[in-house]
Amino acid sequence: MARAKSELLQGTLDLLILKTLELEPMHGWGITLRIQQVSESVLQVNQGSLYPALHRLEERGWIRATWKASENNRQAKYYELTAQGKRQLVEEKQNWLRLSGAMARIVGTA
Amino acid sequence: MANRLLSIFRFLFRRQKMEQDLDAELRYHIDRLTEHHVAQGKSREDALRQARIDVGGIEPTKEECRDARLGRAIERFLQDVAYGARVLRKNPGFAAAAMITLALGIGANTAIFSLVYGVLLRPLPYAQGGQLVVLHQNAAKAHINDLAFSVKEIADYRDQSHTLQAVVEHHSMNFLLMSKDSAERVETAVVSANFFDVLGVRPLLGRTFVAGDEAYGSGAVLILSYKYWQSHQRGDPAIIGKIFQMNDRPHTVIGVLPPIPQYPAESDVYMPTSQCPYRSSAGFIGNRRSRMMTAFARLKPGVTTEQAQADLSVVASQIERANPDVYPAQDGYSLVASPLREDIARRARAMLLVLLGVAGFVLLIACANVANLLLARLLKLERELAVRAALGASKARLVQQVLTESVLLSVLGGLLGLAFAPPALAVLVRFTEGFTQRVAEVRIDGPVLLFTLLISVGTGVIFGLAPAFSSHGWGGSAFHQGSWSTSSRSRHHLRSALVVAQVAVSVILLAGAGLMIRSFVRLQQVNPGFSPDRLLTMRISPGFPPHTMQTVRLLGDNILAKVKAVTGVETAAMASSFPFNPVGLVSGPGASDYEIEGKPPSKVDVKPTVDIRIVSANYFETIRQPIVKGRSFTVQDERSGPAVVIINQSLARHRFPNEDPVGKRIRFDEMMSWTPWVEIVGVAGDVKEYGLGQPAGDEIYGIIRNGFVNRLIARTSLDPNSMAAVIRATVHDVDPLVAIDQLDTVERAEYDSMASPRLMTLLLGIFAGLAVVISCSGIAAVMALAVSQRTREIGIRMALGANRSAVVSMVLRQGLALVLAGTALGMAGAAALSRLLSTFLYGTSPTDLLTFAAVSMLFLIVAAIACFIPARLVTRIDPLIALRQE
Repeated sequence: MARAKSELLQGTLDLLILKTLELEPMHGWGITLRIQQVSESVLQVNQGSLYPALHRLEERGWIRATWKASENNRQAKYYELTAQGKRQLVEEKQNWLRLSGAMARIVGTA
Repeated sequence: MANRLLSIFRFLFRRQKMEQDLDAELRYHIDRLTEHHVAQGKSREDALRQARIDVGGIEPTKEECRDARLGRAIERFLQDVAYGARVLRKNPGFAAAAMITLALGIGANTAIFSLVYGVLLRPLPYAQGGQLVVLHQNAAKAHINDLAFSVKEIADYRDQSHTLQAVVEHHSMNFLLMSKDSAERVETAVVSANFFDVLGVRPLLGRTFVAGDEAYGSGAVLILSYKYWQSHQRGDPAIIGKIFQMNDRPHTVIGVLPPIPQYPAESDVYMPTSQCPYRSSAGFIGNRRSRMMTAFARLKPGVTTEQAQADLSVVASQIERANPDVYPAQDGYSLVASPLREDIARRARAMLLVLLGVAGFVLLIACANVANLLLARLLKLERELAVRAALGASKARLVQQVLTESVLLSVLGGLLGLAFAPPALAVLVRFTEGFTQRVAEVRIDGPVLLFTLLISVGTGVIFGLAPAFSSHGWGGSAFHQGSWSTSSRSRHHLRSALVVAQVAVSVILLAGAGLMIRSFVRLQQVNPGFSPDRLLTMRISPGFPPHTMQTVRLLGDNILAKVKAVTGVETAAMASSFPFNPVGLVSGPGASDYEIEGKPPSKVDVKPTVDIRIVSANYFETIRQPIVKGRSFTVQDERSGPAVVIINQSLARHRFPNEDPVGKRIRFDEMMSWTPWVEIVGVAGDVKEYGLGQPAGDEIYGIIRNGFVNRLIARTSLDPNSMAAVIRATVHDVDPLVAIDQLDTVERAEYDSMASPRLMTLLLGIFAGLAVVISCSGIAAVMALAVSQRTREIGIRMALGANRSAVVSMVLRQGLALVLAGTALGMAGAAALSRLLSTFLYGTSPTDLLTFAAVSMLFLIVAAIACFIPARLVTRIDPLIALRQE
């Protein structure tokens, strides 16, 4: 917990959630784990802000939720991308690449 | 969109399901997280604790999830509204006081705004009304505004201008509409054939005029106004084709107008120019100086009023150069085009704007009052608010709640105000009818309701914001103090400032009302120069035919003889007009050319203007206008001997400054040729012909010799109103075929001539009274609150030996200090603003010292009473109880 609990940039949490859900429908806990795994524990999702973000995205119509049996056989709320969410993901991805490219050029990663 | 609505719906109405979902979802997460921590070797208990910390607490997270929902804002709003309503129900006194105050303010503003909107702002009910302009001919250097137009002048502007699509003319005439056994005067508008096309008015029935109707020799046609059709023809749907006898020829009705305000004058019927016996005579048409008509025009598309004005000024100077005999350079001839919309409401404009400003002031006072009430209420809530702030309610949330409550209050007040508005508006409309035709269009409709809604919400925000933001202590300071008996200093200052502002604005309004009252009293004290009591007047119109110029002479004599013989009639006279004649009030003095023997006008002199009245021999005796020099008319003057005239003192002063005018001779310009010289036999006192507020102009009185003047003026020994029917019957005995109308007493005409200052005085008085009541009740409320807040302090003072009267006077002093400060500020404001009233004031300076002194005294007395009532509450304080109170 001590390591790299750096605040995510505004809006990046949304992108991470959308990207994670692109692969398959997932519940909140799964999203947390997936982000940690894929980022090799560099990114730790602040669990306090994950759920409000999920509800916000649902409110915007980018994701939708259904209750399904989870891997441990309990009912869990699974989120999946809507068509609108998929379009949004493309856009957010491009934005992020542009931004991170610019950041990389300025900070000088080479 | 549908999705969104669905989600709001779900949020608001499927709460339980949503909450269960949220709960289950978070529980699942916590469980998995706990398992995760257990797997890493923690005890079950520690793991659960850690999981809860990780998510930042279950309840805050839930709250954040709810906040992410759109329906949340709506739900909060509804909660606030419900809370506000509950608060108002629980504080009925506060709610009623605030709502009534606001209702008065908003109702007054709604009524005045309906008037302003209907008269000044609403688009004209004519097609593309914005393109219509009225033409005014002025001879500025000769002090003549609004000279009527002649046929030739209208033709010049029509032919020579480049910016006008069409020019139309209008003049009013009275004609007799004859039936077998009676005659009726109808106000007839004589207009160009394209008059209605230019205005863009479609007929309700039948058709409007076409070019052929205006051709000489075509059959005479009439169009009826909606009002006349309704009132005199009982709305007969088969009226088209009906034939009326008028000017000795049959006139066929071809159309009925829709109910629209008629410009430039309300008329009964319309006829084309070729049908008016005066307008169609060759002599009239050929004479550039035969001016009788009003002209207006439609601009070509895309032309602005300024462009048209520039173009028409060029035409005016062309006309002036081409006819130097008619437009001498020293007269300063010019033409002004003004938009019809402004022109039609010209006389009401200044008054309406002043009233709107005054109503706005009243609303401001109401706002300040309610803000103070709200502050007082918040003070009681301070503890509750502090607790809520401590429990995590954000300041924005609390401000939002206070604002919701204040807006709820103001909207309810506005609704109540809407109930007041229609009766208030009905009174206003009745009073303003005389000023503009557009009053007919005044109603409370969409734009007015929108205005009411806006000012309701606006006032709610204004009076809610001040208290909401003054509560910076919500962070918990009030809570920490553990007692709310010491209110924060800033809030106390705010309340004081609100009282001072209220007092200042009230004093400004009171000063305005005081000035109007003083001016009105002055006006009523003006000596009219004659005695108007028990004078009855009526217009008598014989028809030509059956009468001729020869027979009407006898008709006049017979009528006078018979009327004088009626019991209850002291004396009677005939005249071409009478003082305070409403027609004269609107148009002002006429301009007639005359010349004094031995004083030929030099080329540079401005032409003297004078009003000429033709009267019967006993006119001066009848109205009791004194003859100050020379003699009055005699019956012999009516019949034979040389023609004579009487002038008034004003003319004698202006034209015979150091000599006796009696015996001097003058002559008149009649259609470009001079009449024979006429001797001045007397000088009559000045009469305020055009209203008490208007200076007496130069007048020449001529004696009736041939022809007929149609005003009968009778002085009765009984109540003139009770004599009206008898006199009317007497006149009809002489000739049943004369039309009688405009039957009125001169006193009534005098009363009506003061309608405008009376209305202003009345309304300003009402508004000022309202302002004083509202602000004084505000002062009393604030004082009462101050006393109740200081109960403890006062208890200590009394326990230490202060006597009651000393404590009362201490409280009073503080209240009066605010009132004095406000009064001083208000006086300064009044001195700065009262200039706006100067056009409405008669014989009173806008900074009249006496008025200002009287007004401030009056206000101080009322305010002192308002302070004293709550200050007396002090005497009920028992030091023992006060000290124990906590």
